[in-house]
Amino acid sequence: MSRSSGGGEGDGGRAERASALVTDPFDAHPGLAPLRTAARAGDWAATQDFFAGLDSVDKTSVAVGAFGGIAGTETYLEKAVAALPGDPLARTLLAERYIRIGWEIRSGARAEHVSRDQFDRFHSWLRKAEQLLIEVCAEQPAYAPAWTSRITLARGLQLGQSEARRRYDRLSAHHPHHFSAQTQLLQQVCPKWGGSWEAAHGFAQECAASAPDGSHAGILVAEAHIEHWLELEDSEATAYMHGVPVRDDLRHAALVSVLHSAYRQDWHWITGHSTFALAFSLGGHLEDAARHFAALGSMASESSWQYLGNWQSRFMKFRKAALATL
Amino acid sequence: MTTYDAYDRTTVDDTTAGRPDGAELAALDGLIAHTTAQGVPVLHAPRPGEITAGLFFRVGRADETLPTSGITHLVEHLALHRLGLSDLHYNGATANAYTLFHVTGSEAEVVAYLNAVCAALRDLPLDRLETEKEILRTEAAGRGAGPGTPMPLWRYGAQGYGLSSYDELGTLRLTADEVRQWAETRFTRDNAVLWITSDHVPDGLDLTLPAGRRIPAPAPSSALPVTPAYIRGEDGHVVLTSVLRRTTAAAVFTDVLGRALYQDLRQEGGYSYTADADYSPRDADFATLTAYADALPRKQAAVVGGFVDTLARLRAGRIEQAELDAVRGKMLKMYDTPDLGAALLPTYALSLLLGHRLLSPEQHKAELNAVTVADLREVAREVWDGALLQVPTQEAEWAGFTPAPQYSSTPVVGTRHPSLEDDDVTLVIGEQGVSLLLPGGPVTVRFHSCAAMTARPDGARELTGLDGFRVAIEPTLFRGVTAQRIAALDAAVPAELVVPLPARDPERIPRPRERQSGARAAGNADGGKAARRWPLGLIGMVVLDVVFVLAILTAALDASDAEHPAWYYLARAIVPGAMLAYYTHRAYRRAQDARG
Repeated sequence: MSRSSGGGEGDGGRAERASALVTDPFDAHPGLAPLRTAARAGDWAATQDFFAGLDSVDKTSVAVGAFGGIAGTETYLEKAVAALPGDPLARTLLAERYIRIGWEIRSGARAEHVSRDQFDRFHSWLRKAEQLLIEVCAEQPAYAPAWTSRITLARGLQLGQSEARRRYDRLSAHHPHHFSAQTQLLQQVCPKWGGSWEAAHGFAQECAASAPDGSHAGILVAEAHIEHWLELEDSEATAYMHGVPVRDDLRHAALVSVLHSAYRQDWHWITGHSTFALAFSLGGHLEDAARHFAALGSMASESSWQYLGNWQSRFMKFRKAALATL
Repeated sequence: MTTYDAYDRTTVDDTTAGRPDGAELAALDGLIAHTTAQGVPVLHAPRPGEITAGLFFRVGRADETLPTSGITHLVEHLALHRLGLSDLHYNGATANAYTLFHVTGSEAEVVAYLNAVCAALRDLPLDRLETEKEILRTEAAGRGAGPGTPMPLWRYGAQGYGLSSYDELGTLRLTADEVRQWAETRFTRDNAVLWITSDHVPDGLDLTLPAGRRIPAPAPSSALPVTPAYIRGEDGHVVLTSVLRRTTAAAVFTDVLGRALYQDLRQEGGYSYTADADYSPRDADFATLTAYADALPRKQAAVVGGFVDTLARLRAGRIEQAELDAVRGKMLKMYDTPDLGAALLPTYALSLLLGHRLLSPEQHKAELNAVTVADLREVAREVWDGALLQVPTQEAEWAGFTPAPQYSSTPVVGTRHPSLEDDDVTLVIGEQGVSLLLPGGPVTVRFHSCAAMTARPDGARELTGLDGFRVAIEPTLFRGVTAQRIAALDAAVPAELVVPLPARDPERIPRPRERQSGARAAGNADGGKAARRWPLGLIGMVVLDVVFVLAILTAALDASDAEHPAWYYLARAIVPGAMLAYYTHRAYRRAQDARG
């Protein structure tokens, strides 16, 4: 679903060329680039080496997610899985790839616009992924990327709120503030997937409050508000994001996360600033947005922005308006 | 007097090798004495205080058929009737593969009880038959179905070990002759074992019973073409059953699984209150593992997910040595019981009865000590391979379970009777059997594999196949189900399979409701078990369409001449073409509905 207007931005005349934006995570994070090279070459040894060199589970999950977006890797992954039946990485990457293939068939449309055949094929890919990951999680219960993908799978397979939450709880027992998983569960607890706004905002706040300062969890607060905005009718949506409570909520969340002195710029930082930039822009809080646009420079993550039609040019417009306040 | 399926899970287990004989009884030397009384094998070992005795017969529900089901239970009730209202602590139990009469009291009381039971079995008080049938029907009505009740019927069908899913239909039709003959052939001295907690066989014991033969437990039937499979069950319960070879490792595994489920679903997750697993010998060589967890309505999905993950963990062999050691320790501790021989009597007696190998305590302890985590992993895989899962949620295909069959493979041919409630449901009464044609597929019961047919005076019939599929015929709900059609059915079903049901209050004879579209009706029409099938109707129609179009084009091109140009032929094809298009669309809709 995309939305045409968030209001609040002044049209600064000529939009800058959207192509100047760096949106591909492999371009934005130089450290990720070798993975793309390995994937395109179908080089399992290099893929394995890349993951072996990562120093945090956060990075591993980001890399697995980014990898999933590279088409055509199934063939070499299937070979790797066959050759290394006990290897969690090969199965997790393959499962992530199956999830993407399935989701591309389903499309991002609302369920009522997805045909029965699309759903059947979607579910069939997801089941293949799930069965790989049931094994991985059984063997390696602390392996965060597999649980993260299984939270996405619980949603796609419509296994229910309590099952998605169970998966998150199993993961968080080992990794209490794993942002990649939190952002997946946040989707599940939104009304569009059978949750409620109370649950969505509650989960975002709970994650933000329990995480140490300077962690990513505050980004969830902004994500929840953007999701809420998306569901409201135009005038209500504008009023919602312009409201002082939402603004204050966003400010606090940004201060304890991406704007905190302890914040480490790992591979979530572009998503973080992009999300806050969007949330503040939609509410017309240009000065607040400006700090995040400034931090991003020419980088942008489509994460939440993809809800906007033609998001890159909207990004440029919002950015221009925000930076003009500096 | 109850019916239950498990006797004692303190199993002394081993892969079996043939029937126990004198040599095998040697395993009991020094622990349990063995002899015979009036030809009945007797195991005995002393225990201070009151005496407990149990008389086992190798006959149970699995030996019955659907129309005779309950016959063993009836014999058990009749055998105990004369004991009346004595204060003695006694009972009888009918399980799938055995019947047990047991008693606790003074030696004189125990002897009186056993003698009375055997006397009654020799000469059943059949004047009581109608009353006891009535009592059994009342007992069944009050019992209610447990959460896993349907599982046996899905695994075995309406026969053998599947019968425990069913009402005791025999209580509606059994005759005195049938019951007497059942007692004469099954409750014999050669099909019995007595155990008694005494250092001697009491004087005055008279177990005189007719001669017969030891009847092995029935071979299992199968109604599950593919496992692991799943069925949908009622809210609040997750149940899994599997059939395992009877080994010490399998018994240990069951306890490990029960503890793992409790740990994962209750202690860690808080999704369940009860979570446990049970191991019950089914016959000489195989046991049934049943794992169960309850679920709060809002946590059902998590219970299913947690259940699947716990099984996967054990299958992956991620079992702590401490988990194994704890279970092993508990099972070994059982041997610390004072009066060990007496405590083990029921287990040994049942093994002797079923033909399962007898292990001495030392042999069993050695096997327990030899069980490794790798052995448990093997059992976990065996559990998975043969699993039938009952879930309260939508489905379990995501976890690798195949839906148990919902439709029969083919319908029968015969007179067609459209449903008066639903355009997409048709009843077929044929020479070979009956079918209910549902949007998703047929449900068929063939006469040659019919397990039973119930019959009401108002013409209602319900046929159950040996595979467990069921077709209910309410003449008021289908067009043209005349008395003649019902008579044809009655003539085709063997009389011994017909179970008469009493007349209904006219108010309770169903009347057609508002017509419905096919999508919803599938669940209403009373068919049996529904898997996705190829939409054969649709495929057939598409093939027909292609043939039709090719034929018309060929005809139009070949036969056209000056007087009859091609369009002349094509125009004549419009009406049949439109009809084909209509029926193709209809078939398409049905195929869509079937998948719903």
